[in-house]
Order: sequence, then structure tokens, then C-alpha cells
Amino acid sequence: MDDRNLTLHGLSIKRYAGPEAVAELVGLPLAVVEAQLAAAVASARAIEAAGGFTLTPLARVTLAARYEVEFADLRADAGFAAAYHGFERVNPELKQIITDWQTIELRGERCTNDHSDRSYDDKVIDRLSALHERFEPVIAALARGLPRLTRYACKLEAALDQAESGGSEWVSDIHRDSYHTVWFELHEELLRIMGTEREE
Amino acid sequence: MARLPIDEMRPVPPPASPIVEATLALLQQQVRRKFATHLAGGGEGFDDFVFGAPGCGLTRADVESVEAALLASGHRFAWSAATSLAERPDAYQGGADTGGAVIFKHPEAVTAPPDSEGRTLCGQGDNVVRHDADVIGTARYINTSARVLSFLTEGVPPGTIAIIDDSGGTLTAPIIEHFAGILCAGGTVRSHLGILSREYGIACFMNAKLSGIEDGDTVAMEASAYPRTTEDYQSGTERTGRVWRLRGAA
Repeated sequence: MDDRNLTLHGLSIKRYAGPEAVAELVGLPLAVVEAQLAAAVASARAIEAAGGFTLTPLARVTLAARYEVEFADLRADAGFAAAYHGFERVNPELKQIITDWQTIELRGERCTNDHSDRSYDDKVIDRLSALHERFEPVIAALARGLPRLTRYACKLEAALDQAESGGSEWVSDIHRDSYHTVWFELHEELLRIMGTEREE
Repeated sequence: MARLPIDEMRPVPPPASPIVEATLALLQQQVRRKFATHLAGGGEGFDDFVFGAPGCGLTRADVESVEAALLASGHRFAWSAATSLAERPDAYQGGADTGGAVIFKHPEAVTAPPDSEGRTLCGQGDNVVRHDADVIGTARYINTSARVLSFLTEGVPPGTIAIIDDSGGTLTAPIIEHFAGILCAGGTVRSHLGILSREYGIACFMNAKLSGIEDGDTVAMEASAYPRTTEDYQSGTERTGRVWRLRGAA
């Protein structure tokens, strides 16, 4: 992908973001992304609103129609497709772990986890660590097909490290690159690469 | 996927107009499919494909599907003759905003006539987590890009209960955090949207089956209902929160 389409692609995954977040996601220099976003706004491919950028409907459609060309080799790569299916197999389990992180059973009722039960939280994080360990070969295989996907691997590992050392907000907080935030963005990336739709 | 010669060329610079670029991208997608069919049917290459049938075999239906894709994205065409707008208000700028007119009519929505408190039962959904109190707000269907953009640029009206059919990523920061509640026709309590709404502490029903709620109606969500658990999903146990319309309520 050229810088323009890679910038628009990154913005499509983020949906609404500033240039720093897009640059970090796709691995382009900030100045390049800033220039591409400015050009995108000037040519009606993106809109700037409340300090962030978002794609216009036509830019989204154009990008989606180009994916089969941009990602043709990956779609035809059996190893990459197998790794993608590996992601989809693990995905329901990740969502269950995040749900269990956010909720806790008290007196037979599932309610919001206020994170006062340390041993419960530790067990959930242990499950996340175990999942991550099993997921490492999958993301490694994905990155063999598309090296920039290594960025997701690094961010997932960094979030897990933080969560394991007591930074509980690194599990699912929305306002940072928490494990769930990065996982969701990786999923969005893979759906675009493979040309598939989200299951639920 | 069959590559076209143009796929290998660098279009520098891209078309100036976004509608031209989108239309070309969608048309090329159609031609790629025709080319793949041609090759699969024993065709030799691009030359015999392109000279074999006028317009690469593109039909009126193919072009109509391109237009449908453009409109489905939320784009509306600029009109040069007012009659266009009169004939197809759904396709042109300034025409009817079909967003507000869409009403979910789920056959499995549990409905009931108004009760003694004037509440009309309009359906139910899987509560993602139990809240202390029910939530009352104004129902707004989120099904057009224009609406998402207006929420982004002008802000979300206070007390909005978003009704949406996509559990994926349509609802995003920074608008999601300003909703009073979310009713999502798809997904489960473990879906991404369920995870996000729990994180924000926003009342949210997934797998919502609704009937009879119009855009702008005052609605109440039984956010204090028990959430649907993993065990419930596994055993097929229905455990839902109810949704009422409070038409005429202040």
C-alpha cells in the first residue's frame, strides 16, 4: 500500500483518530501521516471534527473496493489464511476473558467487577496470559505474511506486561492501547485483509 | 483474484473527485470478477477478455450494484436538475433522510398495549450488565453516516438512546461515550460493543428485538434487569431486559 492508502487504511481501522494514533498503528512517520490526512481533508476523503479525523463514506467505499488488490497475495497465502483462522478461533475466548474481567459473580448474580477482589482479578489475568502464550505463534505467522502486523504483537505484549504488573487498566480500558483495544484493532485489520465480515 | 492491467499501474495522482475514485474502484471490482469468470471459463488472458464482449460484459445490473454500494455507504449524489431530487429523494443531497424513518419490526419482539403507567412494551434485549436503575431517553436510530458525522461534529443530543443493528465497530469514540443507552439488534453480551459499553458504564442491550419504536420516541430500558450470562447462552435460557415506549411522556 502506498502512504496515502496506508494512512486512510489506518484511519479506517481507528475510525476516528488523530495523526499520532494513525502513525503508530500503521508505522508511518508522523509527518507523512499529517500531510496525508491534510490532503485527505482537502480532497474530501476525510473530515476533521473535534480534533480527530474520520473517513468520508466515499473514501471508505473506495478503500474497501481496493482491498482485494492490495491484499490479494495475503488472501491467496494458505499459511496466512490458516493464521487468520487461528485468530478467529481464539477470539471468542478473548471476549469471554474480557467479559469476565469486567463482571464478577456475587451472591449468584453477575454484576460489574469493582476490582476489589484481587485473587479473582489475578485469575482472569492468568487466563489472559495463557491465551497470549497460545496466540504468540498465530501473530508470528500473521506477521510473516505482513511484517507491519508485528506492531500489534508488540502492543499486545506491552499491554499484557502492564496488566501483569498491576496496571489493571491495561486489560480493557478504552482510552489507551489496552489488550482489548489492540486486539479489536487487529481484528478490524484482519477482516479487511481477508475481506470477511465480523461474526457478531 | 484476477488482476487487471490497471491494477499494476500506479494511479498518480488519484482522481481528484472522491465520487470518481469510488465509482472507478467499484467498477474495476466488477470487471475483475468478470475477468476471473472469463479465465475460469477457459479464457486465455486480458486481450481476449476485453475484446470478447462490449464493455467487458458489464451489465446494467452491475452498474446498478455500483450505485447501490455508493448509496449504502451513506453517500448522496449532488443534483444538477431539481427533477432528480423529486424523482429519487433517497439518492440525492437534500432528499429524504431515510435514517429517521426506519423502524425495527422484529417478529420476536415481545410487545404489549400500554400499561397503567402509560408504558407500551416494545421488545427486549440481552442486558450486558446490571445497572442500579432503569434508563429513560430519546430513541435515535444510528443507521446513516450522516447521523454519525453530525454526532461527531455537533455532539450527541443529551439523553440519546442509540438504536443500531451492527455490533461491530460503527459506534466509536468519541460519540459512544455520550449515549445514555444503546439498543443493538445483533451480537451477544460478549461482543465488542457489549465490552465497550460496560467499560463506559453505559446501559446496553445486545440481541435487541424491538418493534414499534420511532425515531425520537421517549423510551425506557430496563437496565436493572439481570444480565444474560454465558451459562444462559449455553443453555438457551432467555433472560432479557425490557424496552418500553413512553409516548406522550414528558
